[in-house]
Amino acid sequence: MPSRARGWIAIIVVVAVGLAASFVVQERYHHRVLTLVFLWASMGLAWNIISGYAGQISFGHQAFFGIGAYVTVLLVVKLGLTPWLGMIAAVAAAVLAAVLIGLPTFRLAGIYFGLATLAYPLILRIVMDWLGYQEVAIPMKREHLGWFMQFSEPRSFDLVALGVLAGSLALSYRIETSRLGYWLRAIRENEQAAEAMGADSFRCKMAAYMLSAVPAAVAGAVYIHAILFIVTPEAVFGLLVISQTLVVCLVGGTGTMWGPVIGAAVMVPVSEILDTTVGDSLPGIQGVVYGAALILIILFAPEGLYWGVLQRFRARRSRGAEGVRAAPIVVAQPPAHPGAATGDVLLDVRGISKAFLGLQALSDVSFDVKEREILGVIGPNGAGKTTLFNVLNGFLVPDHGEVRFRGQTVTGLLPSALCRRGVGRTFQVVRTFPHLTVLENVMVGAFAREAAVDRARARAASALQDVSLADRAEALPGGLTTLELRLMELARCLATSPRLVLLDEPLAGLSADGVDVMITMIRRVRATGMTVVIIEHTMQALLKLADRLVVLDQGRRLAEGPPGRVTQDRAVIEAYLGKRWLARAGAPAC
Amino acid sequence: MVFAELVQYVVTGLLVGGVYALMSIGLGLIFGVMRVVNFAQGDFMMLGMYVTYFYAVAGSIDPLVGALLAVPPFFVLGWIVHRLLLARVTGGDPGRQHDAQLILTLGLSLVITNATTMILTPTPRGIRTSYATQAFAVGPVLLNQARSYAFVMALVLAGLVYLFLTRTDLGRALRAAADDPEAASYQAIDVRTMHGLAFGVGIALVAAAGGLLATYYPIEPNVAGNFIVLMFVAVVLGGLGSIPGAFVGGILIGLVQSLTLLVLPFQLQNTGVFVAFLLVLYLRPQGLFGRRARTV
Amino acid sequence: MKRSLSRMLIVALALALVVPVLFMGQAPAADDVKIALVAPLSGRWARQGQLKKMGADMAIEEINGQGGIKALGGARIVLREADAGDSVEKAVSAAQRVLTREKISAGIGSWLSSFTLGVTEVAERLQVPWLSLSYADSITERGFKYTFQTSPVSSLQAEQALDLVTDLAKKNNRPIKKAGIVGDNTAASMFFYKPLREKLLAAKGIELVVDDVWTPPLADATAIVQKLRSTQPDIVFYGATNFPDSIQVLQKIKEFSVKSPIQGVGAWLVTPEYVKTVGKDTLDNIQTVVAAHPMKGQEELVKKFKQRTGEPFMTQDPLCTYAHVWLIKEAIEQAKSADPKAIRDALAKIDISSGPAVSAFYPPRVRFDERGRRIGATPLIVQWQDGEPYTVVPIAVATRPIAWHR
Repeated sequence: MPSRARGWIAIIVVVAVGLAASFVVQERYHHRVLTLVFLWASMGLAWNIISGYAGQISFGHQAFFGIGAYVTVLLVVKLGLTPWLGMIAAVAAAVLAAVLIGLPTFRLAGIYFGLATLAYPLILRIVMDWLGYQEVAIPMKREHLGWFMQFSEPRSFDLVALGVLAGSLALSYRIETSRLGYWLRAIRENEQAAEAMGADSFRCKMAAYMLSAVPAAVAGAVYIHAILFIVTPEAVFGLLVISQTLVVCLVGGTGTMWGPVIGAAVMVPVSEILDTTVGDSLPGIQGVVYGAALILIILFAPEGLYWGVLQRFRARRSRGAEGVRAAPIVVAQPPAHPGAATGDVLLDVRGISKAFLGLQALSDVSFDVKEREILGVIGPNGAGKTTLFNVLNGFLVPDHGEVRFRGQTVTGLLPSALCRRGVGRTFQVVRTFPHLTVLENVMVGAFAREAAVDRARARAASALQDVSLADRAEALPGGLTTLELRLMELARCLATSPRLVLLDEPLAGLSADGVDVMITMIRRVRATGMTVVIIEHTMQALLKLADRLVVLDQGRRLAEGPPGRVTQDRAVIEAYLGKRWLARAGAPAC
Repeated sequence: MVFAELVQYVVTGLLVGGVYALMSIGLGLIFGVMRVVNFAQGDFMMLGMYVTYFYAVAGSIDPLVGALLAVPPFFVLGWIVHRLLLARVTGGDPGRQHDAQLILTLGLSLVITNATTMILTPTPRGIRTSYATQAFAVGPVLLNQARSYAFVMALVLAGLVYLFLTRTDLGRALRAAADDPEAASYQAIDVRTMHGLAFGVGIALVAAAGGLLATYYPIEPNVAGNFIVLMFVAVVLGGLGSIPGAFVGGILIGLVQSLTLLVLPFQLQNTGVFVAFLLVLYLRPQGLFGRRARTV
Repeated sequence: MKRSLSRMLIVALALALVVPVLFMGQAPAADDVKIALVAPLSGRWARQGQLKKMGADMAIEEINGQGGIKALGGARIVLREADAGDSVEKAVSAAQRVLTREKISAGIGSWLSSFTLGVTEVAERLQVPWLSLSYADSITERGFKYTFQTSPVSSLQAEQALDLVTDLAKKNNRPIKKAGIVGDNTAASMFFYKPLREKLLAAKGIELVVDDVWTPPLADATAIVQKLRSTQPDIVFYGATNFPDSIQVLQKIKEFSVKSPIQGVGAWLVTPEYVKTVGKDTLDNIQTVVAAHPMKGQEELVKKFKQRTGEPFMTQDPLCTYAHVWLIKEAIEQAKSADPKAIRDALAKIDISSGPAVSAFYPPRVRFDERGRRIGATPLIVQWQDGEPYTVVPIAVATRPIAWHR
């Protein structure tokens, strides 16, 4: 992530280039092309907020574009209100629409969400026709051209559109470099991991959606005044609007504010050049060539030009610089006297039951977790261990029963809320945010406690230090070993400052050395005052680590107690270890 | 009389829905197996209409037969398009790979429509069939013959696809590749071949749907725009990845379009479809026949 | 493979940008008079744009063949066509492009009323006179000085068409008591229905028994035609401008044997593709009100047009565009200048009643009021007979007598 100043400088450079272009360009038509570039870039930036950062592909973003256009124009026509003020009303209407659309529609995920959003502008289109607004021309105000955004000087439109672009870039950059931005990207990469790390995904998406409606509405309003001069439902709510937006964003690259800018700066002029050179003399060919150009560009850079070029650039730079890592991870032992359990109950699980489609995953499970203890949860496959964790951190709401954390009922709370209360977790299969660096991955956790990015970064860096991963901070998770991934996930969890840490098979897939590192690490976690619950298959390791064990089998609690006693329990041995262990009963597993 | 009128509305909706259904299962297959939002689907349908038209004009082949004869060439076309274009952007990061396919099919759609306009001229054409303007009378209810034939053929084709997917090894492999590409590749199923197969079959089906449509609907290069949104709505309504779902989705859209007229002004007809679509999704976020996504 | 792909991309993009330049060869002589035609030449409405271009080309060939513009020493007219594509954005871009690239004396276009509205904004700002055949009232309700509308506006067409058909019906002993309105909600059609609904029908004591207006595309025509069958209006005002919609309605009318006379609203109903798609039997006796259609005395013109283009007959779009080019020529002759402002002033003052510039219009006299509407513009009624549309009303210029009974 570039430093803050560099981003602002880049935005200023882009705006300056736009400004310069506007003063270099002389022909009216070229001004129009420039205005179009700025406006489509702005519309692309709007879309990018919800669909790029947050990954919620919206096929219906033209709803806000159209609302911006219609509200401003109708205010001019009916009330004679200047579009400069009308835009404020238009933005308000668009944000309200975002709330109304978002509330029900964010229940849906992925392509279902995308296509559901498409329905809204299409409904609006039909309704506008029905209301008799097929073609609304803006009345020409010869007396107050500027006040009604009807400039005779085409450069003025450039400047207005450039202003919209500058605002959209500033908004995008603010989001990119804020907690919301990190959360959104985390949600895009792995929604559940983000939730578990304290990001309330519904609220984040909603905020992003509302923010993204703003530039779209402004762009729509300016588009009508600068480009069309009239508004028709088809022109602002139609499919051409969203396909142009998609082209601009996906050709440029999503998830970065530079994508839409690059996309618009390339595709809009290409389209106009084609119209100018061949379109008028051989109509239709411009569409063929434009379509072919789209295909070729995307074959060349499937993730968009920005990422494609960046990747090539990075590949060239880092050639030969690979494989720096060699130093093994060495972890200092915790203090000799690990703080033992205090006896106060931190987590109280009472009679939890959960069924899926008739399959009873958990039935009437009760146990408690004491402050500063390490509790192991063991059980054969399908015993309901992970389901239990999912109930404890809020992914699932139990059918019956109650979970009390620090004396308060927490059943039914969202994972993000539980995380903020102090329940952290890791996953059986490590859930990373693949396009975020290791440091950024951990920052997502840190945001549960810190709103400020700098402070979150510092907290994340120190968490990485604690798990001795500091030298991998700038790597992407894809390049990490299993142990490093586990450690990163642990650091991310620790960065949320949990009171209770839920570790889902933290030793799975690790080498013997890795297991040792991890065990030491878990002891250190406890030594710093946290309470740990571990799900584990590796009996041996748990016996060394855990103060107490809870044994689950087929969704029931089979036994609970110190490892020594539990491993002697006949029922446990039979259920969990198999009959052959019965023969060796008495000899603790080793 | 009132009852007969109601029956007429229902029958009309069913018949309209029949062809939507066939259009949609092609898209649904591609969507379900490859997770590709194919914007060019409607344009392949348009090409199917033209091919049926040329069969009829040059070979005096009845469009009902022509629609079937469109299947083999379009299967090959789909296979080639997948090989040459879509397969090249598969692999890598799933999220962004879908973006790439989106733009790819958008580009393809632009190329097909504009090239067709240039080569075949924008002038609309039509196949004149006697059955387009005749009806079977069942009591007071009239069933348009062209639409009835199209409906029956759609039903048959959809049934064949369903049998193919559930009763043949190849079909089962296809479904396995759709459900879990990784697991499928462990079972020695070549996912790329499966995708090519799905795209080929999907394109062939929509071309056949185009051929049936051409028995009563004029053909022009931009005809896709009248149907593409409805196709997507039908597929999502039925549930992604479910072929019966896409079929039922198509039928439902026809019914809703028809029955909306009983409560809303004609101009708002398609708002009925969109509102019904949204309602179904709110009540069943995975569509009518879709399976709920696994949690965690 | 990556490598070859990027090379492919570079080559293709380079080709895309270079090849076009090769097409841009033919530079006109400096004193040619350039007329812009902004019309949809690609996309959904490309057919209409092509028809307009046929008309313009024909007029220009005639004018140049007869020695060009005399007042300018025989200057030739050249056409600068710009593709309005399938969106208002593209249409306005096309106008902007063509009007600022070169010195354009006057412009014509852009068929679809929403395109015309956008394009005339550009023309107004750049002060280039613009001729349009679009019907929508709104085009000349904005106080523009450079927009000239030769067609009778929709609302006026409604009034005149109603008068004409009620008259006809009375003469044929089939007075109109019940009427229906069936069609889509495109702007031009809506401007036509509105006065019918609000006052005209009531004033004549006609009951409106069916009023079904849809948003294109139409899914199915059964419900509409069923209503027509059960109410049997004496006249149906019909505005299905989207070709597939119209075909569905006409097929259904045949299927349900609806006998009500159909009175179309616009020239979209008399294109050659109708005969090819539904056959002449279905079309017989269907009539429509249009702004222009070949009248008695234009046989030569039509013959020439058919020979040039291979079209089976001539319709409003090429005819109006043909006349527009001639009208611009007349204005230039009167202004004795190719300056757009001078041409605009000449058009505002023009009053001519003979020659190819006026023969396409009814009545054959062209003068504009202060809004830019042609004074006295009256629509024609065109009727399908034996697979071809003929002008049937007014009788003075009819090419065939009207057939009222079905």
